[in-house]
Amino acid sequence: MKYTPFFGCMMTTKYPWFDSSVRKTVASIGLDLVDAEGFTCCPDPIYFQARDKMDWYTVAARNIAVAEDAGHDIITTCSGCTATLSEVNLALKEDEELKEKVNKRLKKIGREYKGSINVRHAVTVLRDDYGLDRVAETVTRPLEGLKVAVHYGCHLLKPSRVMRVDDPDRPTILENLLKAIGAEPIHHDKTLLCCGRACMTDSIPNSMVADIMDSIKNQNADCMGLICPTCFDEFDLGQIVLGRKLKRTFNVPVVYYFQLLGLAQGLTPEEVGLNMHKVKAERLFEMAAA
Amino acid sequence: MSQAEKLPTLKRHKLNFAFREKLNSVPEGFRHNYCYQCSACVADCPANNYSDSFNPRLILLKAILGFEDELIAPGSEIWNCTNCYTCSERCPQDVRPVDVIIALKNLCIREGKAPALVTTVSDSVLESGMTTKVTPLAEKRRSEYGLAAIKSSPVDDIKKILEDD
Repeated sequence: MKYTPFFGCMMTTKYPWFDSSVRKTVASIGLDLVDAEGFTCCPDPIYFQARDKMDWYTVAARNIAVAEDAGHDIITTCSGCTATLSEVNLALKEDEELKEKVNKRLKKIGREYKGSINVRHAVTVLRDDYGLDRVAETVTRPLEGLKVAVHYGCHLLKPSRVMRVDDPDRPTILENLLKAIGAEPIHHDKTLLCCGRACMTDSIPNSMVADIMDSIKNQNADCMGLICPTCFDEFDLGQIVLGRKLKRTFNVPVVYYFQLLGLAQGLTPEEVGLNMHKVKAERLFEMAAA
Repeated sequence: MSQAEKLPTLKRHKLNFAFREKLNSVPEGFRHNYCYQCSACVADCPANNYSDSFNPRLILLKAILGFEDELIAPGSEIWNCTNCYTCSERCPQDVRPVDVIIALKNLCIREGKAPALVTTVSDSVLESGMTTKVTPLAEKRRSEYGLAAIKSSPVDDIKKILEDD
């Protein structure tokens, strides 16, 4: 099936190996990603939405309209982009008056939001359009014995009124996708805790990150597995910065789901960019070399 | 400090119900009217669990009573919201506390009382179409992973659609 990918700012500039890991792995499963031209930042759900909600609706609606012209659903790979595009898409579908206001603005550049497509995170598309069995069929090197501490991040699941992906308190989607590639998902005390990135003061996210790291270490997981580049930033580089502050070493490798999928499909650690991480996932290099 | 000890600060304020009208004028701001102060939003709030001062129920109460000076400021508690939406899951009244907090943030911007970071990041979207910078290193990395060069964003389009209606 054809989809319009929306990779967003973080993956495009800071973590291009996540972008390429998604492209390589989903192609084997059968997804056809057809890039559209003319996207901007989603725009980001924290700062841009805080600046002016009406402008946030408008810029997001423009992005959705660009994808509507291509005619396929949007597939997102960052939880922030998922949050913005899903919420705006639903708000405009539900509120005719808001849609008219936004379209009045889009008319100035000859575009129109119609409400004709859906926005879904790549993991949701894998589960719902292809199924766990299809994901498992593409695996040539099952990640047997790999303990992955699951980190959901907030915006795949919440607000559930908008996202409609899974039970926000007892989700299973990531655990099931990890099992499909042979890995062992580890549910730890802080599996559902936020990464804290949106807070303006450091003390709250610092304590949250430290707690999440300790919670994962207590479970003897080989790595943390997640699906959002902003959460990744907060935990990979973030644990180094925090470690310096606290004079502690966490040493919890953080891995994006599509890197794990790539390894399971036979790609090398370098091909999925694992060598680029601040904290190296030694166990994954060993598994790939075996 | 416990929350009970914090409550007496409320006495020093004069009630200002006109603030509710102001908040009603911002998208989703009207939802604060649905709050009946049940506290369902508090228990699972990570910013509450990891600080002494952040409390979504108190933010709603301050909005209802019109404690404008406390809420509309660069150092306001509202900027410590993690935007995790757990409160919106718990709220029985469909207040959507995160959305009310975002409405309060919109008022801060309107009155020039937001932290500098908010304008820095959102200005970047208006100027380059992105929150992050396109650097030669980013381009080099992209080509190493077989990805296409980054196309410039249609910033003129953004400017036009955000002009005053």
